Amino acid sequence: LMCILGDLCSLTVPVEGMTCDSCVQTIESQIGREPGIIHIKVSLEHKNATVIYDQGLHSLQSLADAIEDMGFEADMAN
Amino acid sequence: MATHVFFVDMTCEGCSGAVARVLKKLDVKFDIDLPNKKVLIESDKDKDVFLEALKKTGKTVTYINSK
Repeated sequence: LMCILGDLCSLTVPVEGMTCDSCVQTIESQIGREPGIIHIKVSLEHKNATVIYDQGLHSLQSLADAIEDMGFEADMAN
Repeated sequence: MATHVFFVDMTCEGCSGAVARVLKKLDVKFDIDLPNKKVLIESDKDKDVFLEALKKTGKTVTYINSK
């Protein structure tokens, strides 16, 4: 977790269950619309999502929950 | 026990897998027809419960009917 400019944090979340580019686009558009999400980049190859968000509106847990609500697994194990 | 039928714009295995995972959390019997982009859910609950859950997947979802 790396916070820049006070409230803006960058975080990479592991995401299991993606098989093609349409999953990537769906996650990027769905999570991207969430309030407080400044930027999101999902990598099918690395099976993760890098998110820049406002820590006043989102947290590691709420991001993981949003991904889980979509039916993907944000395995927080590591 | 009603069967609610939805159109869900799934395009690949990953998408249908995501829908399956969401429905498993709701503990209902369901069937996913990927080629026809249909999801059938057997439950007495109101269809809106499933409409909301399916919409969270970020896919286009439309309610078709209940049998």
